[in-house]
Amino acid sequence: MSDLLKDRALKKEKKMGKDGRPKDSISTVSNVEDPLHHDDTRLPTENTYQLGPYKRHSVPVITEILKDVLTCYLQHETYEAEWSRQMTKTLCDVIRARVKELMIPRYKTVVIVNIGQLSGQGMQISSRCLWDATNDTFATYSFKNSSLFGLAIVYVVYFE
Amino acid sequence: MEEYNSGEEILFNSDEATAPIKECIEGVIGGTDYNQNKINQWTASIVERCLNHFVKQGRAFKYIVNCTIMQKSSAGLHTANSCYWDTATDGSCTVRWENRTMYCVVSVFAVAVA
Repeated sequence: MSDLLKDRALKKEKKMGKDGRPKDSISTVSNVEDPLHHDDTRLPTENTYQLGPYKRHSVPVITEILKDVLTCYLQHETYEAEWSRQMTKTLCDVIRARVKELMIPRYKTVVIVNIGQLSGQGMQISSRCLWDATNDTFATYSFKNSSLFGLAIVYVVYFE
Repeated sequence: MEEYNSGEEILFNSDEATAPIKECIEGVIGGTDYNQNKINQWTASIVERCLNHFVKQGRAFKYIVNCTIMQKSSAGLHTANSCYWDTATDGSCTVRWENRTMYCVVSVFAVAVA
């Protein structure tokens, strides 16, 4: 309950800066949709003595998944605000489910999907990661049709 | 069986993370207008600054920082993310910032190591 109140408090944006002058930039913070109940007691687990992953993710396989999903869902669509909002969330969940189906153990997944309207604007997306390059990797795919573009990024991170 | 506990709390606090991310953005593009020639170095600096800030905390996390800068026009943009991880320890923080000529969205994902 307190998480929801915190969400609302964070989303209210003050247009005036601390010294009373109006700011010319606005920033907002969004939080996760479902505040889950955190289990505070972690069960102690036995040592497995495993130093690294037995099976790693294959980047071409994930890229193929992204290409398949984006082309299938976006090919014949035109950009609409409300539809795009739902579609980004749907695509995220679909891609996450497909990557989970690969059943590669001890890996966490982060999926990011961007859908935007094409109207000649300039744009740059970049990312940087601090991780173990031998075990962790990422895959991206971007799709474009006459009215919209879709970009999907998947990061897979090894977890002991 | 001995337990090695560093004593540090392994939980990513997304509330505390918003202020430093905002500062990183303001430090790089606060007060500037959209410039196609510079946008590459802007995104790189924002991402590097954010990453350095979190690394300095010295906690047992792997970080993924994602930055999007878009010129303001009539176009719309939607971003969503979906993560398969341990919700007790891992977390993310997304900050949206805008000025007169551009939008900037920075997302930081923190994944616990062990």
